[in-house]
Amino acid sequence: MKGRDDLRLLLVLLAVLAVVPAVASNLVINFLVTALIVALAAQGWNILGGIGGQISFGHAAFFGTGAYVTELLQLRLGWNAWATAPIGILAGALVGWAIGAMVFRARLRGSYFALVTLAFAEVMRILANALDFTGGASGLLLKLQPGAEAFQFTSRAVFAWIAIALVALVLLGTRHITRSRFGAQLVAVRENEDAARALGVDIVATKLRAITLSAAITAAAGVFYAQYFLYIDSQIGYGTWISVEALLASIIGGVGTVAGPVIGALALHGLGELTKGLAGQITGIDLVTFGLLLVAAIAFAPSGIVGAWRRYRGSRHRA
Amino acid sequence: MTSRIMLPAMSRRALLGTSAAAAALGMPAILRAQAAPVKLGILQPITGALAQDGELGRFGATTAIEEINAAGGIKSLGGAKIEMVFADARSNPEAATQEVERLQSEGVAAIVGGFASPICLAASQAAARYNLAYVVDVGVTDAIITRGLTNTFRFAPGLAIVTKTAIDNLLALNDSNGKPARTVVLVHEDGLFGAGLAKLMQTELPKNGFEILETIPHPTPSRDMSNVALRIRALKPDLVIPSSYYGEFVLLARTMQQQRIRPKGIYSVLNGAASNFRFVKEFPEAANGVMDCNHWADPRKPATAELRKKADAAGLAWAYNIPLNYSCVKLVADALERAGSKDREKVIAALASSNFAGHIMPYGETRFVNGQNQGAQPVNLQVQGNDIKVIFPVAFADAKPRFPFKA
Repeated sequence: MKGRDDLRLLLVLLAVLAVVPAVASNLVINFLVTALIVALAAQGWNILGGIGGQISFGHAAFFGTGAYVTELLQLRLGWNAWATAPIGILAGALVGWAIGAMVFRARLRGSYFALVTLAFAEVMRILANALDFTGGASGLLLKLQPGAEAFQFTSRAVFAWIAIALVALVLLGTRHITRSRFGAQLVAVRENEDAARALGVDIVATKLRAITLSAAITAAAGVFYAQYFLYIDSQIGYGTWISVEALLASIIGGVGTVAGPVIGALALHGLGELTKGLAGQITGIDLVTFGLLLVAAIAFAPSGIVGAWRRYRGSRHRA
Repeated sequence: MTSRIMLPAMSRRALLGTSAAAAALGMPAILRAQAAPVKLGILQPITGALAQDGELGRFGATTAIEEINAAGGIKSLGGAKIEMVFADARSNPEAATQEVERLQSEGVAAIVGGFASPICLAASQAAARYNLAYVVDVGVTDAIITRGLTNTFRFAPGLAIVTKTAIDNLLALNDSNGKPARTVVLVHEDGLFGAGLAKLMQTELPKNGFEILETIPHPTPSRDMSNVALRIRALKPDLVIPSSYYGEFVLLARTMQQQRIRPKGIYSVLNGAASNFRFVKEFPEAANGVMDCNHWADPRKPATAELRKKADAAGLAWAYNIPLNYSCVKLVADALERAGSKDREKVIAALASSNFAGHIMPYGETRFVNGQNQGAQPVNLQVQGNDIKVIFPVAFADAKPRFPFKA
């Protein structure tokens, strides 16, 4: 029942966060939204990589597809932003399904799976950079039209609230998955594929469902990114940064846990900003902190912040 | 990194000078307590891939602010000093957007900088939300000024102006030297910039009597240029026209030098290396004779030499980022002076109606149409005797073109 405690704690944290945009400056809100976009992408990654054990290095493929599809529909076909958002998410899910169908049927696992996903994301980045249709190297720029009808609110606080709502929604969804039959099958696949198959679990179908769902959530992060920053290029959409951040947030927060990605993303970005503020004169100090944190997490808390917290609580209960 | 630098207070001599002038104008009020400083946001990428360029841009802006403050600040605001609020764009548009938010919360009167096109696009748009004036220092993509943002101004030329000038100047250069070049090989990186430029050359050059022997694309990054160099050797063109970034061009120039491939000229456009002193210093033999059409300071203006001396003293390699940022800051100071207010509408209006001529670029009087400075133009440069010289247009030149080039 510890899972429930964690979740309750996190929902309280999100509720507190929801108060922040109402009182904080745009600077703080901006930080919060950026961290939450990473959190959302990491939540997507966590379903496939954490719960399902299929470590992906290429979640940028889904993030970028979400961002590009929503911007392209608005720019090339003149669609309303609200209508393009679900299409962007669907497109991301479709890419996830297509990659999954190819890779899982070919029975690629472990590092092979990781490398192939990286390759897919890189191919998409190169294509987006080369094609005129996607704006090539100069990227795509949405027109600034502040207003709710264009999904560009004049107040940055509204963006933060939507981000918090999305993250909370996925949090509840992930919890539901971990308690469902599908979640159990996914964990079985992660722990031992042969044993799972012997128990009658359809391995390929389970993994396909996981990658599709995972891709949809990460694509949602991409859609939201596009609407918030209004500018994407191949490096932002399909670059390795988002693949790495999604992975890093999950690992530092706690791989395979419901709350891990969210806590990881907030901790990573919070610490990054903090060190930047404290040691402002040294360029790149926040990136050094990221690296140290990752080393510390792997060495001392391999199950992430959530794992460390549980261990701490467990030791107290026993005492 | 984020830092706030309060620049040195006005020197005694400058203070005496201004108060004398003020007294002459019957304004003894200048001697009262100093006016509140005007904050100016300077946005440059000083971490990440573009850090080298960002540092140069920061130096140009800092020097301009120091000079303005030493000369008495913004006089129409009671001699208000300019206080720099520096922001690191960390070489990506997302961080730049974040920094614009910070600059907004610090209450800056305008923002100068950006350097790379994606950073300029994202940052100027973020500033537009607050009707905050944004002056682009370099960013050449023409999308920057075609979005209808009234807060965004670009002092330097965009890609359309640069490519047109590059082709015009090449023709003039070739004609005035007895048309030594007839055959051409185009080498370009396969991104939007290189490929777009090559396409333009392919349509324009044959119309003017050139024969394009081959167009050779290469990806960025490339770690080996031997095949490209061997192909050039086989084709024996009069002219090689590369449009690549720093690393690839240096590699190509060095490979050509090693293999003794000597066309009559290497003529590049907005090249990362041909107008970079690092290249000239590290590989002088490969660099000598290379021509480039790029941004550059007007070598005839005395202020250019002074700024260059300061850059040398600071141990920085002279490049166009320094004079461009220096000039952009002075442009904003001039607008503030005329606006006589930090009010955003007034600052934007003052920039839009600017006819600023106190810059050190070869542009003449500033005149913005839809945010683009109409007088802005690139110049042609050539590496001669381990120095980078302006060879064209003649009005700004400090050396004669050596074309065809003989080592």
